[in-house]
Amino acid sequence: MHKGNLRLGMVAILIIIGAVAICTIGSTAVQEPRGPSQEARADLITIDTLKTFGDIERPAVIFLHDLHTEALAKQDKDCKSCHLEVKTPPSLAKKNALSVKFKRLKDTSRKQVLNVYHTECIGCHKKSVKSGQKAGPVERCGKCHLEPDGAHVVSDRHPIKMDKSLHYRHIEATKDKAKDKTQCGLCHHKYDEAKEKLYYAEGKEGSCLYCHGDRTEKNRMSIQLASHYSCVDCHRRRQAKDPTLAEKNEIGPIKCAGCHDLQEQRKIKVIKDVPRIKRKQPDFALSQPKEKELSEKEKQDLVLMDPVPFDHKAHEANNETCRVCHHASLESCSEKCHSLNGQKDGDFIKLAQAMHQPQSKRSCLGCHNDRQQERACAGCHTFIKKGAGPDISACETCHMKSEGMATAEMKPEDIAREMLKARNPVRETFKDDDIPEKVVIKTLSDQYEGAEFPHRKIVKTLVKKTKDNKLATYYHREKGTLCQGCHHRSPPAKKPPRCSRCHGRPFDQNSLSRPGLKGAYHIQCLGCHKAMNLEKPKPRDCKVCHKEKKK
Amino acid sequence: MMSEEAIAGNKSLFTPFNLVAGIIVLMGVLLTILRFTGGLGAITNLSDNNPWGIWISFDLLCGVALAAGGYTTSAACYIFGLKKYHSAVRPAILTAFLGYALVVLALHYDVGRPWRLPYPIFVQQGTTSVLFEVGLCVFLYLTVLLIEYSPAALEWLGLKKVRNIVVKLTLVLTIFGVILSTMHQSSLGALFLIAPSKVHPLWYSTYLPVFFFVSSIFAGLSMVIFESTLSHHYFHDKMDDTHLKENRHVTFGFAKAACWVLGGYFVMKVFGISMDNNWHYLGTSYGLWFLVEILGFVALPCFLYAVAVREKNVRLIKWTALWTVLGIVVNRFNVSMIAFNWQLPSSERYFPHWMEIGVTVFLITVFIIAFRFIAKRMPIFYEHPEYRDTH
Amino acid sequence: MSITRRRFLGWMGAAGMGLTVGRPANAAGNKNFSGYPESIGVLHDMTRCIGCRKCEAACNEINKLPAPEQPFDDLSVLDNKRRTDATTYTVVNRYDGIQGADGPIYRKVQCNHCQEPACASACFVRAFNKTEKGAVTYDASVCVGCRYCMIACPFYVPAYEYNEPLEPRIMKCTLCYPRLMDGKLPGCVEICPKEALTFGKRDDLITIARERIRSFPEQYVQHIYGEHEMGGTNWLYVSGVPFSALGMREDLGVTPAPKLTSGALASVPVIAGLWPVLLTGIYAVSKRKDKIAAQERRQAVKAALTQASADAESKLSKALEQAELKHKRLLEVEVKKAVEEATANNEEENS
Repeated sequence: MHKGNLRLGMVAILIIIGAVAICTIGSTAVQEPRGPSQEARADLITIDTLKTFGDIERPAVIFLHDLHTEALAKQDKDCKSCHLEVKTPPSLAKKNALSVKFKRLKDTSRKQVLNVYHTECIGCHKKSVKSGQKAGPVERCGKCHLEPDGAHVVSDRHPIKMDKSLHYRHIEATKDKAKDKTQCGLCHHKYDEAKEKLYYAEGKEGSCLYCHGDRTEKNRMSIQLASHYSCVDCHRRRQAKDPTLAEKNEIGPIKCAGCHDLQEQRKIKVIKDVPRIKRKQPDFALSQPKEKELSEKEKQDLVLMDPVPFDHKAHEANNETCRVCHHASLESCSEKCHSLNGQKDGDFIKLAQAMHQPQSKRSCLGCHNDRQQERACAGCHTFIKKGAGPDISACETCHMKSEGMATAEMKPEDIAREMLKARNPVRETFKDDDIPEKVVIKTLSDQYEGAEFPHRKIVKTLVKKTKDNKLATYYHREKGTLCQGCHHRSPPAKKPPRCSRCHGRPFDQNSLSRPGLKGAYHIQCLGCHKAMNLEKPKPRDCKVCHKEKKK
Repeated sequence: MMSEEAIAGNKSLFTPFNLVAGIIVLMGVLLTILRFTGGLGAITNLSDNNPWGIWISFDLLCGVALAAGGYTTSAACYIFGLKKYHSAVRPAILTAFLGYALVVLALHYDVGRPWRLPYPIFVQQGTTSVLFEVGLCVFLYLTVLLIEYSPAALEWLGLKKVRNIVVKLTLVLTIFGVILSTMHQSSLGALFLIAPSKVHPLWYSTYLPVFFFVSSIFAGLSMVIFESTLSHHYFHDKMDDTHLKENRHVTFGFAKAACWVLGGYFVMKVFGISMDNNWHYLGTSYGLWFLVEILGFVALPCFLYAVAVREKNVRLIKWTALWTVLGIVVNRFNVSMIAFNWQLPSSERYFPHWMEIGVTVFLITVFIIAFRFIAKRMPIFYEHPEYRDTH
Repeated sequence: MSITRRRFLGWMGAAGMGLTVGRPANAAGNKNFSGYPESIGVLHDMTRCIGCRKCEAACNEINKLPAPEQPFDDLSVLDNKRRTDATTYTVVNRYDGIQGADGPIYRKVQCNHCQEPACASACFVRAFNKTEKGAVTYDASVCVGCRYCMIACPFYVPAYEYNEPLEPRIMKCTLCYPRLMDGKLPGCVEICPKEALTFGKRDDLITIARERIRSFPEQYVQHIYGEHEMGGTNWLYVSGVPFSALGMREDLGVTPAPKLTSGALASVPVIAGLWPVLLTGIYAVSKRKDKIAAQERRQAVKAALTQASADAESKLSKALEQAELKHKRLLEVEVKKAVEEATANNEEENS
């Protein structure tokens, strides 16, 4: 090698190394994780249609729908500029709907889908740029097909619930004003397999989710498609007819964020005290194993739990949707699915399980457990251990004997009503004179004076918060139950034991989970305040509860 | 004669070297006073998160690595029987001896209570500690180097009998020196094994001790070439014919050896990444710096050495030797300072205080002064006429 | 060599006795240290901590540490994340805005008193001791100040008195070891009003922690931090939010620190035993090579000499032969001449 060339080569390498070294000086700084620089949007759609035709070569495109809707609105363009009309309506709505697909009605082949997207998207962008407006990318594949960590948006889509209030508003909006007749058939339909047609079955209406699942099956579209065809399209058509509805906030949204953004959801008008949906549902029900399930011999031999009377009307009023309990159909739980011994339709979940599973939001016990987390209840219920099996004596709270209340001829509904009447909720606690007004805790006084607190006031506040709650007043079986919130691990009594009777020295090897007295006081008091979200007293404001001792 | 007198008369104390060295020594003395009156915090940027700084990264780690010429040269000459490197042994031993002495001196500044440095050996032994092993081996090796260097001093002092006894110990000392060097060179790498959560995955490996040991080999070889380049420039008049004749052998022979070891080391580093499946880190900025280290400071000198030996290009060998030495410094800095604590935010990272750099410069100057003193007076670059052919 | 029966029996007896003297040897293989049985620990429940900093105050008082710049009831200090330093054995940090937490979470930071401490393994003068009580104590009377313990600690706990010129010490929580030996509680544990610090045997603490997590599954993350991290620590943590959100590293692994370097240290005896053999071997080989080279040289010289003398000999004999031949011929010629002359003379006389 020529000496000169070698020298040149060395110099070149040194320059490269030097440049690289300068670039990597930033390497001493750690790359902070991507945090608030990402925007959370409800209108984020991932375009990965080509996955149905095989593996995709480039990352799926992240498409912001509302962004486009707004941009096109500025150009006085509406949905039809991207969405084509479908000939056969997917609901019983009279007019043609718009397809949710982009500029096509069907996905025929990989090439077709690819071309539609590329030609239409890029073409429209180019046109906008030409007319001087901001538009999406027109070249460089990577600007649309962003790498997963290159996107600065993240999906924040919240599903929208059709609750009672919204349902009522829809009933009123779709009513035939002239005839004063509801038109439930506009949304509610069933499918006739034989005739391969949709039809309206009165009295058999149910939630869309009972049939339309997460995925599109052979003849049944997914809930996403179904809801967009039915809901969004109806909103669009009505708004087209009467543009003022949007300003008056009396029409459902068309933009993604309108339904799926958390803040926008909160803006939806809620009507309290909605009249009861008319679906011929019972006011009361008696939960018991079905007659026909048991053979004669079984009826005689088996020892069954007492039936449970159920106030269906009250539960309807207390819940936002029917689906909270009726998750698969509006029929009775044990009718077709959750039988005594379990059957295929119910995923072999037996009746007892369905009623009692503590982690499930659909079961009786699960929902009641959930209610314990409400602010008014949390103060006491946070400290009650989960996971332990149910207290057997609590079964009687629900499973009641029907002797003396039922006759053979009575319908189960009426039996239930009578049994429920026989229940006495406990709305009060002991008399005021029996409750000490102020309690001073000075057993451990060291750096602080005794802690004086308004004992009776606290008790009365708890009573006030719970006396109108049917759940609370029925489950708190005794007058002294509320006291057990603090005076725990002892039977309810007028004179429950003091904390210091059980709590003493901390870290006792023989009772590992029992805090010492100081810890018990602070854990109980401060813990309850935190669970109930009390602003005062603040946990670190020691002086508010006990004054400092003068040295 | 006239000319001699004239020369003798012009000899003043204020040569440029003496002036610069004097200023640095003065600064060093002042910094020493500050260190022992104000504590470490007075002259360093060390913190609770960064307890080791440039005194460990450079003075200790680089100092020990670059002083490896001692054991490599004496092993080549006495164990492998390559007599043509004989003239390089004494300079290499001197470099190593002064190098280790300066390492120990540097530790007196870095460690909190330097008068307790003998404690781990003589008072209470923490045998679970890699640092114990480092300390013990360095202590023993410094003694070995002192003994290996002593013939030169003894010859200068005219203590013939003692000198002859000491020279007989050469082989045993060389073997012992290689054993001790292997252990402490690798242990300096093993120091960082205890902190896998603090060292970047590209530099952390269970093979760290092996990496440090192997790299010390070519560090020593390159340092000998580098030191001989400087010595030829400044101490040429002290070199005898044997030394000048053998110098070419040393340059080419060591360059060849270093080339081979660099090649093997590069392969080991690649295997190191592969073993822990750390390829994806190469795409980060630390990864880029790692590539700079192994491509620019390992693969490149390996290649350049090979080219230079083939082309018989002595100048290229000398520059490559300097580049390799720089590469060792880069590697030791990387493991102990740059890839260490890589996960801390930049506000909590360490950069040396100018006074720390000042102490390091002071120590290097002391090294040069001592080297110069010894090289100009004692038979390092030449054979003492009374002891010719008695090695 | 013949041996008497008596002597043979004597030797056998001695050997037998020798066997009884020995003790069982444990190979250094798969040993695992699961802590001293009566080891004490502390369980820190981060769902209970309210960040009142009383623990910091108690620690400061009991250990006679210098007063801080801002008093302990100044809660604005919590706006910054702090670490232990030369005058602070423990700090409380506040963590805001964690997803899933209703409000800030507080955590107390101090030495975790590991089961197999990295600092103790790293110290080359055995200044750290993992006591049977569970505390990891520090002996400043042997400390050289090398600060390797600070490098080794994965939790960034030990601090150093950098501003002390002659007697700098490592500063870290001692679990109030003197108080423990006195039967008292550590200062922080004793003062905490919320019993966010539970004290007891480490095994009991794990039982308590598991019980708490089981009983209140929505309130706790299903993990006890310190149960296995770095081989287990005596200071355990339970939390309602992921530990990584509280500045606690979850990637430390379960290997105790000493195991990380024991492999490298194990190579020392191997090198010490093998290298002398190897190097002497190489020396012997190179010496032998030199010897053989010298031998070959000598043989070559010898052969050359022999060859040279043989050549010389043959040359000489040839020359001698030739000379003789020449001499013979010369003689013959002379004789012939003489005979001719004599014959000629005879003829003359006769005529």
